[in-house]
Amino acid sequence: MSTVILVGETDGRGIKDVSQQVAGVAAGMGEVIGLVIGKNVSESAMKLAAGKVVIADDERLEYYDPVKYASIVSQVVQKNDATKVLMGATTMGKDLGPRVAAELGWGYLGDCLEASSEGFVRPDFAGKVLAKSKPEGPLVASIRNNAYPIGESWAGNVENFSGDIPDSTLNTTSIEKIGAGTIELTEANIVVSGGRGLESPENYEALIRPLAATMRAAAGASRAIVDAGWVPHSHQVGQTGKTVTPDLYLAIGISGAIQHLGGMSGSKFIAAINKDPEAPIFKVADYGIVGNLFEIVPVLKTKLENL
Amino acid sequence: MNIAVLIKMVPDTESRLEIIDGKVKEDGFKYMVNPYDEFAVEQAVQFKETVGGKVTLVSLFSDNASIDTDLRKMMAIGADETIVLRQQEYSGNKPSSNARILSETVKELNADLIMCGVQGIDYYQAATGPMIAHFLGVPHVSGVTNLELSGDKLTASRQIEGGLQIIETPTPVLITCQKDMAKVRFPALKDIMMSKRKPFDNRDVGSESGEDVQTTECSLPPARGGGVILEGESPEEKVDKLIEKLKMEAKVL
Repeated sequence: MSTVILVGETDGRGIKDVSQQVAGVAAGMGEVIGLVIGKNVSESAMKLAAGKVVIADDERLEYYDPVKYASIVSQVVQKNDATKVLMGATTMGKDLGPRVAAELGWGYLGDCLEASSEGFVRPDFAGKVLAKSKPEGPLVASIRNNAYPIGESWAGNVENFSGDIPDSTLNTTSIEKIGAGTIELTEANIVVSGGRGLESPENYEALIRPLAATMRAAAGASRAIVDAGWVPHSHQVGQTGKTVTPDLYLAIGISGAIQHLGGMSGSKFIAAINKDPEAPIFKVADYGIVGNLFEIVPVLKTKLENL
Repeated sequence: MNIAVLIKMVPDTESRLEIIDGKVKEDGFKYMVNPYDEFAVEQAVQFKETVGGKVTLVSLFSDNASIDTDLRKMMAIGADETIVLRQQEYSGNKPSSNARILSETVKELNADLIMCGVQGIDYYQAATGPMIAHFLGVPHVSGVTNLELSGDKLTASRQIEGGLQIIETPTPVLITCQKDMAKVRFPALKDIMMSKRKPFDNRDVGSESGEDVQTTECSLPPARGGGVILEGESPEEKVDKLIEKLKMEAKVL
């Protein structure tokens, strides 16, 4: 049976959900060895859903550093004769995965939508095309947060990483939190997005963010209002922004340019509020409301609060 | 400062995506410079304007010469020269082989700083940059929204979940650029004229057997039903219908 290295990530509360989901995927592919890298991560690492967990807990590993982290992953792979490395498609996973693949001389599949022993599916052209593959050689893959069941957590064997931590010239000086407490777009179950129909950045703040907070949703945006400087690029959904696949995508004042649709049409349900009945967004929306968003959004927020 | 900027030519976002026999039909594609790479060019040119040096563009593509005008446009905004590696069987879906070929050429340039976009808007793997960094034996920082140069030290702000990771690094280093990094300028007519005289070097390259995973089948995502409008006399009535649907059908509330 082949050995799969699962790179798990912690988030201050414990193991990230996406890591536990990937653990579930990995379990279907072989014998899973978890690997958690960081500083003061040992306690969380033990919760990773894998039969065995290797922990690289060291002061020098406090911040993600591709040079150090890729070397540690490669060493663990070699020591255990593994043939696959899986990780969540987080900002760390999408950065670490290709570097590890290059270091090992393995194939790489980034940001996979589906992964199992049957094969992999990843989105090309911002999700407008789905590409299937059935890699036979050794592989590194990063896998997106999805509806996968979370792997079953159990206290397996724990081992401390005993290899080398290479020096790196990268020096993380700080982490700046932006919009602390808000939910990350690519991890959210619900995304509430706003577009040009909002007419001003003040209206985005007054209507979209509070509604997102009420629905425990992430706040997204169309390219038009990102380009106009209303909200930072980290909010952008679509071809030059993020691709999201939440359970519900609520588009408010967004007409639905093809580039935007590419980034959200993988959502389970789409709802749209727009005054223009001809807006392309309605062609993909499961639930459309034609009307004035300035009247509808406050009513929606109030009713949701009183549920 | 000697800067190499890697450019990927990608299908225009308006290109029609059609699947025939499990493959994306590519003949009708028009190509453009990957938008994320444009941010890299702009930032590289700004550094050159501040501290002097040279900006070299390196691209790997097929024999198709229709892309030359777009690459010249990147020289019109200030890059000094372009090297295009021409490969007959070029595919943008081979990050590992492409990274190996590109890194050979970049190595010869002895660049202090190597820049490219965070990802191509064709295959979205975000892989080629970090792979090239590994093949060059230099560190990389990806998804950078702000890059500052002071002396020979760079400070990069890297977009992460819920914030930014601030990283200081000496050169050489490879940086992949996120959208907020720089506003790409419109070239003046004079610069467009000048760009026509800048060096544009076409080089033939062979193929490199890489470890890339072959796509076995492409398909279009299942068409969405869509098109359902919730009718109502008042905003209240429409919202009630929406909430009902979200509760009972979508089960998200």
